[in-house]
Amino acid sequence: MNRFDLLNKIQNILKDNLVICNIGLPSQELYKINDQPNFFYMLGSMGLSSSIGLGLSLSQNKHVISIDGDGSVLMNMNTLATIGNRAPSNYTLLIIDNGSYGSTGDQRTFTDENTSLKDVALGAGCKKVIECSGEETLNQLSKAIEDKNNSYVIISKINSGNVKIDPIPLNPITIRDRFRKFIGIVKYL
Amino acid sequence: MKISKKIIDNLKKGGVDFYLSVPCKLLANMIDILENDKDVYYSAVPREEEGMGICAGAYLGNKFPCIMMQNTGIGNSVNAIVSLLQLYQMPVVFLISYRGTPGEPVGAQGGMAKITQDILQTLRIPMLHCSSENDLEKISTFSKHAKVVESPVAILCDFNLMKDDK
Repeated sequence: MNRFDLLNKIQNILKDNLVICNIGLPSQELYKINDQPNFFYMLGSMGLSSSIGLGLSLSQNKHVISIDGDGSVLMNMNTLATIGNRAPSNYTLLIIDNGSYGSTGDQRTFTDENTSLKDVALGAGCKKVIECSGEETLNQLSKAIEDKNNSYVIISKINSGNVKIDPIPLNPITIRDRFRKFIGIVKYL
Repeated sequence: MKISKKIIDNLKKGGVDFYLSVPCKLLANMIDILENDKDVYYSAVPREEEGMGICAGAYLGNKFPCIMMQNTGIGNSVNAIVSLLQLYQMPVVFLISYRGTPGEPVGAQGGMAKITQDILQTLRIPMLHCSSENDLEKISTFSKHAKVVESPVAILCDFNLMKDDK
């Protein structure tokens, strides 16, 4: 199972939640699979999907899923400490860990060598940390969303590999405003 | 405490209701005030760039965020400011302790101080430079301006303005 297969498999659960999606291929694949107004596609700022989702979950009550990658979490590792101390129960961080920098040509990351993001997350203070296969991810995600008392970090271990895909044609203000309209903030669209 | 209280009062008057900080001794009183303020959200964060991401999410969730940091934090955050806050036109207030300005005892802070305003100008971030107590009155209007123009804005507080705020 690669990232595209995983996103396909979990698309129905994503559809019902607020989703912050990592820059590059993850966003492009999600857009192609099933574009929704409640999907916020990152067009820059690699590393910050988990942080954007955290800020969003602290500011309103709907459940937030941040879709991140191993390379991106390695770039902003302090985020796990902030999540471990501050994340509310309406927050789930889904790290799609394929051991590679997929958007830049599948160069290996350190999770393909010695680094365990599960251990890092636990050490950073995250209480509910699940490492699972791509096949188990849907089930783990629904459990995380149903649990109204805890935030979760789910590390989905999958194979590297990408599908050939175009950039997202939406402009950033469109992404922003339709997302905020879905939450009920923007009224004029 | 008088200066710090005035800054927070004016930020709140400008609508700011979500605060993060990467601590600085010049921000310590403000952090104390915010930690005891039940009307707003406050948390420390480990790194400024990460804070920019959290502020972006808070804005998406209808908060008006502020990140408090030293001027060095701007250097840590340039890509997040340009390719997140400015790309999606998100209003965020940067409340910056302007280390390395006159009165600063640590010489090494001078390097970043010399280029802080140049960086902010290059980034086209509107700036409010506060060197006296009177300047603080402009903070609420300036914060509201961030929302109107949908842009991050920067408030610089000089070392000498903050250092005796016991």
